[in-house]
Amino acid sequence: MKTDDLIDALAAGLEPVRPARLDPALLAWAGGAAAVAVVLLLGARSDLAQALQAPTPWLKAIYTATLAQAAIWAAMRLGRPGVDPRPALFALLALVGAAVTWGGIETALKPPDQRMAGWLGQTWDVCGLNILLVSAFAGPLVFLSARRLAPTRPTAAGLALGLASGGLAATAYGLLHCGEATAAFVATWYTLGIAAAGLIGAAVGRFALRW
Amino acid sequence: MGWGVVDKEAELKRLMLRGLDGDPVAWRVLLSELRAALTPFFRRRLAGCEADAEDLVQDCLIAIHAKRATFDRSLPFTAWAYAIARYKLIDHFRRLGRRADVPLEEASVLLAEHTVEDGVVRRDLKKVLSILPLRQRRLIEDVRIGGFSLAEAARRNGFTEGAAKVSVHRSMKTLSASVSTDED
Repeated sequence: MKTDDLIDALAAGLEPVRPARLDPALLAWAGGAAAVAVVLLLGARSDLAQALQAPTPWLKAIYTATLAQAAIWAAMRLGRPGVDPRPALFALLALVGAAVTWGGIETALKPPDQRMAGWLGQTWDVCGLNILLVSAFAGPLVFLSARRLAPTRPTAAGLALGLASGGLAATAYGLLHCGEATAAFVATWYTLGIAAAGLIGAAVGRFALRW
Repeated sequence: MGWGVVDKEAELKRLMLRGLDGDPVAWRVLLSELRAALTPFFRRRLAGCEADAEDLVQDCLIAIHAKRATFDRSLPFTAWAYAIARYKLIDHFRRLGRRADVPLEEASVLLAEHTVEDGVVRRDLKKVLSILPLRQRRLIEDVRIGGFSLAEAARRNGFTEGAAKVSVHRSMKTLSASVSTDED
């Protein structure tokens, strides 16, 4: 095809467009998929109704949901050619830094013999893997929600989308299943689970996000 | 170098915004302008396989069309278009199995290379202009190539506006005389 003809053809059918973003409906479905995966695969905690009356699960949810939000923001910036993604990456690092600081202070204020127990909880060895498992169900929908974007760095954009999937998964996991209640636990094991989801997202994005 | 880049950016962005609102005429003009900018941009960076430049230009125009919704209306157009062109170039190299080593440049190179199409034209132009006295030459470059208004160019080179007008007129006469005798 000649370039002149191509330009004519492209201009002929032009329609107005709205700014591209991650599809909010698909993101909501991704959150729903994470909740369903937690309940069906891992089971809801037996004291769920009672537990959600306390502030702790919600504090965990605020941390992981804000991480997801920052990762979505990063994906949005990475998905727009020529836009500097660094503000969103700083926001992600700042959130993790705040959680780690909080966890560190909390641990330091405890009697030395209880520190290790608070940090490792009952489930430190499965927490990250569970979050990773759940994010496998949220991830495809999160990636699908970004298909209108144009990431010029597919690996970085995949990392952001993976972190967003991990954040959604961790939020569902922290509210519905996990009974761990220390900031040190969440800042370490939740963050590692989300980071692992991010790394898998980066590997997927490298190929899946090319356009 | 870099003359007129600011004006060009404003013009292209205006066309882009109209295109986003669905104006096919503006969109056609924008794609044509971009084609003219992208062709030398890719050709220069494809040393050895310039034949691929046309394919890459088409690829890039299709991408710009399909992904136009990713343009942020509050940001410069050139930076957006340059990022897409660079991405398509890297993707092209990767498909060829070459290491994708495309340095990140100022986005304005996309427009700068378009201003004077290639080295041959630039050299010829320099040769022709070199017959003029320096001050006259700078004035004519500003007015006829740099895109400055006569008043601006006069101020830049220390002419009054009236004197600049006369000088440009004389210079053009000298230049066209020199070109036509060359051709005899």
